Amino acid sequence: MNARSQVFDLTMEGRQVDEAVASIFHTVLFHRCLGKYMYTGDAQYSIGTVGYSDVDCDFIDFTYVCCTSESLTRRVKRAINIFSEKLRSNESCGSGQISLEFFQKKKNRWLFPQESIPWEVWTVHLDLIKHDNEDERQLCRENVSDMLTEKVIYITELMNRHDYVPKTPSQSELDLIFDTSFPDVQPYLFKFDYSTTGSAVPSMGNAMKKIIKETLAM
Amino acid sequence: MSTQRLNAAEKDLEKFIKFLALKSTQVVVQSRLGEKIQTQCNPLAGNDWFNIVVQDHPDVLEETKRALSLKPGDSILQRLPLCIEISLKTSEGDQMILEVWSLDLLALENNKTVGGGGGGGGEDTNNKGENESQVLKASHAIYNRMGIMLKSLISLTRTTPAYKLSRRQCPDSYGIFYRIYVDRPQVHTLGEGHKHVKIGQLNTIVGSLIMSVAYRTKLTISPTAGHHQATTATTGTAAQQAGIMLKSDHFRPASDANSPTSQLSTFKPPLGGIGATNGQTGDKRFIDIEKPLRPGAFTDLGKLRQFTEHDFVLRETPPFEWLLRRQCHDSIESLNPKCCDSPVNNNNHINNNNGSNGNLNNNHMHNINNNSAAFKSFEKVQVATSPIKSLLIPASRHNSAPTLQPQQQQQQQQQQQSQPAPQQQPGTSSDDDSLLKELHFPFASPTSHVNDLAKFYRECYHAPPLRGLGELQAPSATSSSSCGATAAATAAVTAAATAAALEGSNGSSSMDDLSRQLEQFETSLEDYDKLVSQFGLSGSSSTGSRSSGGLQMSN
Repeated sequence: MNARSQVFDLTMEGRQVDEAVASIFHTVLFHRCLGKYMYTGDAQYSIGTVGYSDVDCDFIDFTYVCCTSESLTRRVKRAINIFSEKLRSNESCGSGQISLEFFQKKKNRWLFPQESIPWEVWTVHLDLIKHDNEDERQLCRENVSDMLTEKVIYITELMNRHDYVPKTPSQSELDLIFDTSFPDVQPYLFKFDYSTTGSAVPSMGNAMKKIIKETLAM
Repeated sequence: MSTQRLNAAEKDLEKFIKFLALKSTQVVVQSRLGEKIQTQCNPLAGNDWFNIVVQDHPDVLEETKRALSLKPGDSILQRLPLCIEISLKTSEGDQMILEVWSLDLLALENNKTVGGGGGGGGEDTNNKGENESQVLKASHAIYNRMGIMLKSLISLTRTTPAYKLSRRQCPDSYGIFYRIYVDRPQVHTLGEGHKHVKIGQLNTIVGSLIMSVAYRTKLTISPTAGHHQATTATTGTAAQQAGIMLKSDHFRPASDANSPTSQLSTFKPPLGGIGATNGQTGDKRFIDIEKPLRPGAFTDLGKLRQFTEHDFVLRETPPFEWLLRRQCHDSIESLNPKCCDSPVNNNNHINNNNGSNGNLNNNHMHNINNNSAAFKSFEKVQVATSPIKSLLIPASRHNSAPTLQPQQQQQQQQQQQSQPAPQQQPGTSSDDDSLLKELHFPFASPTSHVNDLAKFYRECYHAPPLRGLGELQAPSATSSSSCGATAAATAAVTAAATAAALEGSNGSSSMDDLSRQLEQFETSLEDYDKLVSQFGLSGSSSTGSRSSGGLQMSN
């Protein structure tokens, strides 16, 4: 199945990675989060509301918006943190990518693992640079901010296209589409994926690796 | 039946659009308050529109409703290009439009043809059936789509340059203001190179709903531009109109005049923004970054003095000069010495007091005169706009009109040398008052030194003007016709006269002596001439060619 895929290429300092990735992913997630569904019958439900928070970046001159959900923020932060530490570690060659993947599950049949089908993938490809002096750093700080502005505009543009989004199912199948583990918001099912190998193109090899990993995980 | 359904769907849609408009204004204006915003999720059946918690600010809500001016029967669809204009206003009253957010509804051709197309009966019902199902689905989908659009709006409001500006706003420097109006977005006020971003488009049965923003990218007010305007202000109003970026009268007069919406549009500061900016004075002022001081609140701008380069140059005047002579009309402002002396006046002082520095100062004068001219025309603009000013005597008029007075007085002195006492009268009476006022030292005992000083100054003050001073200029007229030797002689005479005058400064008897002496000198002028010519002849024969050259000139 074909999933929509967006790749953002960014170049920045190591310490800016967390915030830059977070600003992109949170903007996406903010659009992909709904209020909690509260079922009153099988077909009848009421939808909760989503609050939002402004987040100021420390290392970039930028402010982004995310859902006011501590658990969601924590989950995103942890995933980005693991990636960023790998990327900035000594073994790393200074480039890598992290992706936010929205997927839906298919009902699992007997003996077969539950199949998850991605329908939208947001990938941030990062190249790290180092600055020699403070002037360069300041310039870069502005550049990264401009770059992120551009990306956020692009994200909102894509979000307002009439693209495929899974339909709201009945109560029993709700968690095949949505992540119902959060107490305050209800995003579409999503997961993070990252690689810091340097050759960051989502290749056939990667896909195969993923399939093998998944079968082994069973 | 189906048409009723369609109407119901349209009603729903109208309601959705109305609330989208109301929420959009809230989102935009709240994002410009300069604070971080956090709203809490409500998982249990919140009744917020579009399932997004956007708090309603009563002022903003009221403004939006006033701009839309919806009466119970009215449809929002007719009122739609709804714009939220965000502008920046400095504490000096300069204004700049930063961005315009707009929600517009464009006619959708496809749907209209579907609605209007009535061919065969079977086809028609089929069409309508499709349309119906589409509409039914749509009302739910549209709601969700609007939710996404609103989320996009929330995200985007944080990315435009105005957001960073609004976070840094403070009453001392600038405030961010908003204005909600129903009209085409006025993007021409955003300057060159403004950006336009479409946030979202939603095709509905009533038309295509478009949310977009246009924002300014050039945010700097360069000092050169400000200076340019200050200097060109003298040339005419054409230059002023070229600087449309910095002016607040940005409304196209045509659209403004005939659109009823202009009355509805209101200009309001957001909470926390500065409110105490004088709209009337801010209208036609230029940004003058070079101005070293800013007027505080409630100051009468008419009384403010425009500073020039000259104010940074230390004057070479004797100390306590302020106690001496003054223009009579300056006495009103004597409490505020900064106000009284215009650059032109100062130049006269300098030229009189130290002629040796004349050349040096002339360079300055050239610049200063340019400046003062520019600033004066500047002040004239202020005269026109400031309503309070007419009640007071404007300082600029004081300085500009009677600047010639000192010279006139000197000419009078030349003409009426014989009676010095009455000539001085008109100035002295009022000057005396101010002098006495200034010399009133409340804690000085009669024997103190300050009193002596006061006495001394009073005496100095009452001293008649030196005749020599008047004569310094007078001989030039007479000497031009006569020979150079006479000029030298008169110079010697005046030197002697001044010396005499310095010695016996006051007392009419000494004055009489002097005048008698002068008359004597004048009568024996020919003798002096002869003497000098003799010197000249003997000098030319014995010494160098320098004096002979002088003689040739005289002959």
